Amino acid sequence: MFGQQHVSKQLTPYAHGELSAEESARVAAHLGACGRCRKEFEEISYGIRLAESLQTHAAPASIWDNIEAALTQEAFKQNQAERAKHEGARENNVRGGWLAGWRSGRHGDSFGGWRGGSLSGWRPALAASFVLLLILGAGGVWFYLRQTRTSWEVARLAGAPSIDADRMGSRGRLGVGEWLETDANSRAQIKVADIGQVEIDPQTRIRLVETGLTEHRLELARGRMHAVIFAPPRLFFVDTPSAVAADLGCAYTLEVDDKGRSLLHVTSGWVAFETKERESMVPAGAACWTQPGTGPGTPFFEDASEAFLNALSQFDFAQGGTHALYTVLNEARTRDTLTLWHLLARVEGEERVRVYERLAALAPPPASVTREGIMLLDPAMLYDWKAEMEPTWLTESMPDMRRVWRSLWE
Amino acid sequence: MELTAVTDERQANARVVESCQQGDREAFRLLFETHKDKVYSIALYFFGGDAVLASDITQQVFLKLFTRITQFRHESEFTTWLYRLTTNTCIDEQRRRRRFSPFDEAAAGTTTARAASVPAAEARFMRLEIADSVRDAIATLKPKLRIAILLKYFEELSYEEIAQVLNCSKGTVASRLNRGHRILAQRLGHLRANVLSGD
Repeated sequence: MFGQQHVSKQLTPYAHGELSAEESARVAAHLGACGRCRKEFEEISYGIRLAESLQTHAAPASIWDNIEAALTQEAFKQNQAERAKHEGARENNVRGGWLAGWRSGRHGDSFGGWRGGSLSGWRPALAASFVLLLILGAGGVWFYLRQTRTSWEVARLAGAPSIDADRMGSRGRLGVGEWLETDANSRAQIKVADIGQVEIDPQTRIRLVETGLTEHRLELARGRMHAVIFAPPRLFFVDTPSAVAADLGCAYTLEVDDKGRSLLHVTSGWVAFETKERESMVPAGAACWTQPGTGPGTPFFEDASEAFLNALSQFDFAQGGTHALYTVLNEARTRDTLTLWHLLARVEGEERVRVYERLAALAPPPASVTREGIMLLDPAMLYDWKAEMEPTWLTESMPDMRRVWRSLWE
Repeated sequence: MELTAVTDERQANARVVESCQQGDREAFRLLFETHKDKVYSIALYFFGGDAVLASDITQQVFLKLFTRITQFRHESEFTTWLYRLTTNTCIDEQRRRRRFSPFDEAAAGTTTARAASVPAAEARFMRLEIADSVRDAIATLKPKLRIAILLKYFEELSYEEIAQVLNCSKGTVASRLNRGHRILAQRLGHLRANVLSGD
């Protein structure tokens, strides 16, 4: 086909009837004369044939129920905001109030006119007014609880954070399922219901997964957050790509890198870093890495020796094996019994014996703990021994050695 | 006649959207019922047949749609707006999940191996296998190719409309569809005889 351009790029538009009559005629003429393009067209046609076999599937009916419930909640939020506005509240974060009639509509209010009737059609008597006031009061409390269960207040600290891709003003609300994102120059602060706050650093992407009376949950997809929580244990959770950080009453920093690895650094109290298979209990001054596919590593104090940290990293994430384990044991100080105690359940056989012996040398077990029991990972004995060692772990204000640990990864 | 029908449909869509913007619950329901299956199907095929995830995506799409519907200004087709939301929601979720279990060449290999192992059984079972194989093969396409294919074959959108949804040129749409078709044809080449004999 010298002197004529092949028509590979036009084959799909040609098959779909997207070319002009003139272009179609040119492609058709070319196909009649060019075996190569004709062969390609046969392949494209077969691909089209496959794609045409796709069939529409019926969406489950339950989806509407969930949507309706969520919209009802949204309507409550707007109603509440409207009420606050009338009562001279300082600010109103409603995005339009168009849903304000959603729920009232369901109860026969005039909004939208879909069910007819109007509250203005009757005047309550005095007794009825009293009852109504009681109901409104109870409703107000319910509205408040409802709102705290469906969205959190967000304050801009710097730059231009966005909520679900919409640039936020000085304040906004993060609803369940919505993403809060910061770019290189922006930061934000989230009020976690009434139990604490989370600060979001630049280049961070975080989502409100759930908020309710029994659980508040964020998902940190990437970036860094600082949490300060004053609440009973296991009320606040943060999902990362490789583990879940469960708050046990504390302050901590959590970051996720582009490979989905996480670093937890606890500054006060305790945090449990966990997956279904593994849990690491991390006290103030300690840190813990996780890696996708592996889960949380062994917690460590950041002032441990570099050889200790390096060997632990090798053991947890690079199949460092016995050699790395023995380096950890040799380098361990009394305070590093935090790491050794966790290692008991992560090794077996002779390695567990070695960990036990090193641990016993650094922190002799209480009378209730036996070697045989620890070899069998008796939960009560493990707990007793941990309780005995905890005072040596809980020294605050350790230096920030994160950069040392980070250097081991880079 | 056809043009009149299209115009009527657009006007009807516009009226429903306006009612939604007024907070009319029945209009919401109507809008949902009209589009839910296509949104769900796109999500279902985008995520390789994961019905739970497809339901979640569908819910997210309509929640976003309803809570932002006052922002719709009728400057573009409503369906363009809807499928842009669908596309963005799918791709966002795909990005989020990539850290957990990326679609990779191994997945494509599995698809081919599974399809290749299908015995020459009855035609009904073969059709089901073909449908499964196509679904799996589509799930291994790069997201940009995948969404172009889904918009074309579920929504029967024109190149111009797909370009608006994806915010790219018609040429790019053609190129993505071209590549998508070729990859499908190559990965499912072993089914050619069965597919073509099913006419």
